[in-house]
Amino acid sequence: MNPSWRQEATVASGLFVCALAGWLLFHHLFAWLFAACFVYLCWHLLNLYRLDAWLRRGRQLQTPASLGVWGELFNSFYRLRRRDRERKRRIAYLLREFRNSTSAMPDGVVVLDSLWEIIWFNDAAERLLGLRPGQDLRRRIGNLIRHPDFVGYLRHGNFDEPVDIPAPASPGVRIALRIVPYGSDQRLLMARDVTRLYRLEEMRRDFVANASHELRSPLTVIGGYLDAMRTDSRLEQEWGVPLAEMEHQMQRMLAIIKDLLELSRLETEAREAPFAPVDVPGLLQRIQRDALALGHGPRDVVVDVKDPIWVLGSESELFSAFSNLVFNAMRYTPDSGRVSLRWWVEEDGARLSVTDTGVGIAPEHLPRLTERFYRVDRSRNRDSGGTGLGLAIVKHVLQRHDADLEVESEPGKGSIFTCHFPMERIAREARTA
Amino acid sequence: MVDKLNLTHHISQKFNEELEDVRNRVLAMGGLVEQQIVDALKALTEGDSTLGRAIEQHDYKVNQMEISIDEECSRILARRQPAASDLRLILAIIKTITDLERIGDEAEKIGRFAARLAEQERPTSNYREIEHLGNHVRTMLHDALDAFARLDAEAAFRVAKEDERVDGEYDALSRQSITFMMEDPRTIRRVLDVMWSARALERIGDHAKNICEYTIYLVRGKDVRHTGFEAMEREVLDRR
Repeated sequence: MNPSWRQEATVASGLFVCALAGWLLFHHLFAWLFAACFVYLCWHLLNLYRLDAWLRRGRQLQTPASLGVWGELFNSFYRLRRRDRERKRRIAYLLREFRNSTSAMPDGVVVLDSLWEIIWFNDAAERLLGLRPGQDLRRRIGNLIRHPDFVGYLRHGNFDEPVDIPAPASPGVRIALRIVPYGSDQRLLMARDVTRLYRLEEMRRDFVANASHELRSPLTVIGGYLDAMRTDSRLEQEWGVPLAEMEHQMQRMLAIIKDLLELSRLETEAREAPFAPVDVPGLLQRIQRDALALGHGPRDVVVDVKDPIWVLGSESELFSAFSNLVFNAMRYTPDSGRVSLRWWVEEDGARLSVTDTGVGIAPEHLPRLTERFYRVDRSRNRDSGGTGLGLAIVKHVLQRHDADLEVESEPGKGSIFTCHFPMERIAREARTA
Repeated sequence: MVDKLNLTHHISQKFNEELEDVRNRVLAMGGLVEQQIVDALKALTEGDSTLGRAIEQHDYKVNQMEISIDEECSRILARRQPAASDLRLILAIIKTITDLERIGDEAEKIGRFAARLAEQERPTSNYREIEHLGNHVRTMLHDALDAFARLDAEAAFRVAKEDERVDGEYDALSRQSITFMMEDPRTIRRVLDVMWSARALERIGDHAKNICEYTIYLVRGKDVRHTGFEAMEREVLDRR
């Protein structure tokens, strides 16, 4: 038997023996038994009272001392509380360390709940995002960071890529914001100072734009002389073929420069394309005519307009994107093939698809297709006359129209390029915005 | 201070969300307008005529938002019949979006002037004074919207007081412009465009001040329009 219970039994039996002794000496058995029970009960009540008082005080570690079962109970409570305190101290330490380390982080961190309300943020977030400790807790993040790009980012709910905005507190600083969902409906907002990267990117953009611009005028001069030389009959005999080749290469360079300028214009202009109504069915007809006038590729180009709807955007950009898709299809489809353009509406927006029966693209190339100068096959693009920038332009134009590009392809069978336009970019025919 | 406004303690959770949503949309609209000002200033100081004209196209979105928020507010008024602080919130929102929309119009105006100025010869100062005024006004609107988001009457009062300094800056700029025009009459056309831009910026400052007054009304329940800064200060600091 447990020693404390043995002690308890000794106390109880001691009392009982006392009661018996009282009876033997002074009679009145029941009175003596009652007195013994009463004393025993009082002792228990006293201990209960002490336990209750100790629990109420709460902060005191040392438990009252007692005999028997009560002593054991008090000891257990004492051990329990000590272990508890130990654990609490450890957790508090861990939490403090965690907060200290996140505070020391150079990147801003904001914890958001399911309603986008701020739960907690670190010092860097305070600095980068201009949040105020205490005052800004339980406020929606979108109320304090109001940049249209960020608001759009929250609304779209696609958090794969970070979004770049100027810091709300200091306009000279550029920050990249990224939402990371975690746990049950919680989100982490990470803010990072990307001013340096942004400047570099800006320099690169300016460089490409300026360089292409500067290259254009010397090329035009060379082109003029080439023209003059090709018409000169004295040179025809010896230099005819090289001159034709030079002319061809110069046209290619001009095309590349034109595309580079177009790309850099798309990059430097406002983030979003304007919302002007564009007659897409009419645009497709025009592209069809242009495609047939190319003089190469299949003669079978069909336009299938299911729904005569318009898009809100920039006409010149959409024209350039769509014609790039169609001319690509023409380029890689044999003369006996077929290129078809379809335009229709679905529940979540409008779709434009360009389907060809050409050579197709192997699946490993698909993710990198829209990179600049990316070539699926080094040998085949040269003579087909592409600049290697077409799909990059398509991607940029679609991005500026909140649209996506989807590519399906099977080598040998053909490819389908589909553009998805969201509902807010769509207008019923002839409705003016 | 903020807790007095029981914006987040309603019996109907749905009502809460509606109020918070409409507030959120007002601030999103504010963000759009802030961006318009930034673009307008950039167009002005960098001589970017395409950007200057692009602002016009964004104004369409601001107007759309104004209409949809207005509709939402009347819907809430009709269906929920809000009282006390909720009613004040709705009223403040209805007034705020009007001012925001006007700020958008002023920004559009600046964009147009910027496009015109970009095609002319640029002075050596490169419009630095107006850039300073513009940044001041931009910060003012930013802080006014922050005060509205945080329901911070004291911050709103501080921002409203900035308007005096903006007015002072505007006066200095117009005096300077007059001197330019007297010195060389050939610059009159250009300087007038600068003047109109400065005037638009000054108006934006006034609208930002109005937004601050609505915020004070929303938080304190007292209308502080046309009362002067002393009365406003008493009202704001009084019931701390």
